[in-house]
Parts: sequence; structure tokens; C-alpha cells
Amino acid sequence: MKNLPDLGDDSVVRVSRQGGVAAIHSLSRPREIEFAQCDISQRTRICSVLEGCLPLDSGESGRGDQRFYQIEMRYKSGEMVLKVPEDQAPGDLVHLWDKGQLP
Amino acid sequence: MTDSRPLRSFIPPYILNRIIAHGSEPQRSAAMLTLNHVRSLLPNPGPPVRGPAQALLPTRGKPGLAQRSVYDAQNKMLLPGMVVRLEGQAASGDPAVDEAYDALGASYDFFWKVLGRDSIDNQGFALIGSVHYGQGYENAFWNGAQMVFGDGDGEIFQRFTRSLDVIAHELAHGVTESEAGLIYSNQSGALNESLSDVFGVLTKQYALSHTVEQADWLIGADLLTPKIKGKGLRSMSHPGTAYDDPLLGKDPQPEHMRKFVITTEDNGGVHINSGIPNRAFYLAARALGGFAWEKAGRIWYDTLCDKRLSADATFDAFARLTVDHAGKRFGAREVSAVQQGWAQVGIELSVEVV
Repeated sequence: MKNLPDLGDDSVVRVSRQGGVAAIHSLSRPREIEFAQCDISQRTRICSVLEGCLPLDSGESGRGDQRFYQIEMRYKSGEMVLKVPEDQAPGDLVHLWDKGQLP
Repeated sequence: MTDSRPLRSFIPPYILNRIIAHGSEPQRSAAMLTLNHVRSLLPNPGPPVRGPAQALLPTRGKPGLAQRSVYDAQNKMLLPGMVVRLEGQAASGDPAVDEAYDALGASYDFFWKVLGRDSIDNQGFALIGSVHYGQGYENAFWNGAQMVFGDGDGEIFQRFTRSLDVIAHELAHGVTESEAGLIYSNQSGALNESLSDVFGVLTKQYALSHTVEQADWLIGADLLTPKIKGKGLRSMSHPGTAYDDPLLGKDPQPEHMRKFVITTEDNGGVHINSGIPNRAFYLAARALGGFAWEKAGRIWYDTLCDKRLSADATFDAFARLTVDHAGKRFGAREVSAVQQGWAQVGIELSVEVV
């Protein structure tokens, strides 16, 4: 399983909902969260959600028109992408994508 | 596929294949190692397998007879839901249930009567559909064991069971997984999507007895609400023209290789670049005339079932096999029509076909 990278001030997390027979870009509604704009509590909670997504990452995401959440983490030394099947996505991840913040 | 490395280092399999074909020896070795690794990460899911929830159902139909069951997910996201209509039972009165039942039957009939295929796995696989999945759910999909249909949100999409070609499209995903198992990313993923569009649209044309000239060549023509400026999800005859709407944006499908989209979205643009092989199929069918399933459809199906078609096939590799099958099953006129179809979308097959 992957490990979550160190996400610091320069990190950006992008969450989008992708796939589906009607794969239309505007419906993917990407959310970008800049860590520089988040306080330590918000960062900790977001990282906790991302940690929970690590074991859900699947190379089969999307096949057969199934939707999935794509999480792109950009940080100082590189990028990491996770693909979480819609039917396994944690509620907090869906909320983060939908509202741009955690409940 | 999932890539934990920086995105900029991701090299799609079709580029690796080019390096293997044209690179220096060290480049070829490195590319081959990488390609083998990629293949190990992306196994073909293979023929469908029934989950425990479906184990009590009749497992298979008799050859030539569909074995359908339609469930109501009751707006939850738990599958399969409550059984509503089994094979041979009368209409339920629920439009979504009855549309799914009829469309699964029409899709089975197309594959059986036209292509001689006995359901998804060619062994009578029982067809299960669940309707009313989720709340306002804007999708239809194949999950490896069954088909699932949402009601749509009513603003952009109507219920997905309205569209016969979309239901056949989902069933065809199961067929592709049972045959070539085309990897669902980049060019092989776009071929996977294109094949579902091809057999989806052919199922509709067969049900309506439409010739290539009469057909609309649209995917999901019945799905968009009147509020949306669009005629469907995709156009096989003119990719990129299906919709142009303030909310949805413009249909991004390219119709030619010079507009091929390189993206990390949508598993490498599987629903985007499928426009290129979609148009090649349309052009070949149009050149051959008559009913598209009789020749072009048969050639594409022969190609899908050809063991030489690798799971990470490129457009070029797939095109070569279609030309080969056009010659084997038909003749010079068909070979020319298929070659021309691919050439017009920018895939020139200049070397001797396999």
C-alpha cells in the first residue's frame, strides 16, 4: 500500500469525480484545496481522509463506466494520484469534493 | 490505472510500444520492462463472475433465450436491490423496470441473432439489471457482474433506461471483458469504449431496422433533457458535435488523430478519444452501405474475438486486425472500405496487414 507523502505549505490536493457513461468534464467538478490556505486542524483532517483512501485506491477504477474519485496530490517533491471507486468512497471524501471542505 | 509516481513520468503503453518498435537497444529494454510492469498491474478482469447475492438466481439461459432479471435498488446504492421482474413475467408497470427488461432482451437478441453470441460470456450468462440506483443518479454502468441504471437528475439527464444503445453499451462492456479484456486506460481504454458504442448503436439500428443512412449514429439520444443544448452523449458520425451547452460545455471528442487528446482525466480520455475509432467504424459502415451490422459490425466483432488482439492494443493494432478480418470474411471491397475508414481518421495502414 502507498504511504501518504508529507503535505506542507506548498501542497495542493485536487479531487474530481470521474468516469461514467456520460463522462462530461464539467460534471467532474474538480476541487482544489491549497494547503497554504488551511490551518493546521484543517490540514490534519484532510490528511486523515486521504490516509483512509490509500487502501481504497484501485487500478480497476472506472472500468465498465463506473464512476470514481480521482485525488491528485501535488507537493514539493512530486505528485501522487489515487483513484477511489465511487461505491467505496468515504463520506468525508465525497463531502470534500462536493463542498470543498469537511463537515 | 493508478500511478503513484509523478504524473509527468507516466508513459502510456502505446508510447512504450513505439519505443519498443523504434528506440535504441537500451531504450527498447527499458520500455519492455516498463510495459511488462504495466501489464502486471492491469490484469484483464476476464469473464463475469456472479457475486453471492446473485447466487440463488438461475445461472444461465438456454442458447438463444435470454435469462433476464430486473431489480429495483429503491434509490439506494446497494446491489442488486429487490427483484421486480424475472424472465417471462408480465410487465411491471414501472417504466424503468420494463425498459431495462426490454432493452436487455433486445441486446441479447442482437448478439445472438446477428453475431451468434450466447450472452455476455457466450455461455448464456444470466442478465441482471438494477434500476432506480441512487438518488438522481446520473449514470449507467457494468460492474463486472450486472448492469446498473440511475434515474438521472431530471435537469441534465433523464432516466438511463430510456436509451437502448446505452443499455447495450453496458452489456457490451461485459462482452469485451470476456474477450480481449482491453485495458481501461489510454488507447486500449478508448477502444474498449468505442466497441461498446459500436455494439450499442448497432443494437439500436437492428431493433429499428435502420440502414446506415437512416441511423442517427448517436449514443444516448434519449438521455438529455430538453433544457440541454445537445442531441446525445456522443456522435459516432461527427464526434465533437453531440452537445454544446452552457452547463455541460462542448463535446470534447476528436474525430481525427491529429486532435488526439492527451490527458490524465477519464483514465487517459477513454470516453474522449473513442471518437476516433467510432468515426472510423461509421465511415467503413457508410462506405459498405446497407445494414451496418451485416459487414462492418461483423468485422469489428471478429476483431474483438481475435486472440491476437492484446489487452493493451493501440488504435493502429486494432485497425490492422479489422482490415485482416475484412479480407478473411468478405473481400477486397470490404478491405478497402475499412482501410479508407481508418485512413480518414488519420490511421494509415501503409504496411502489409497481419
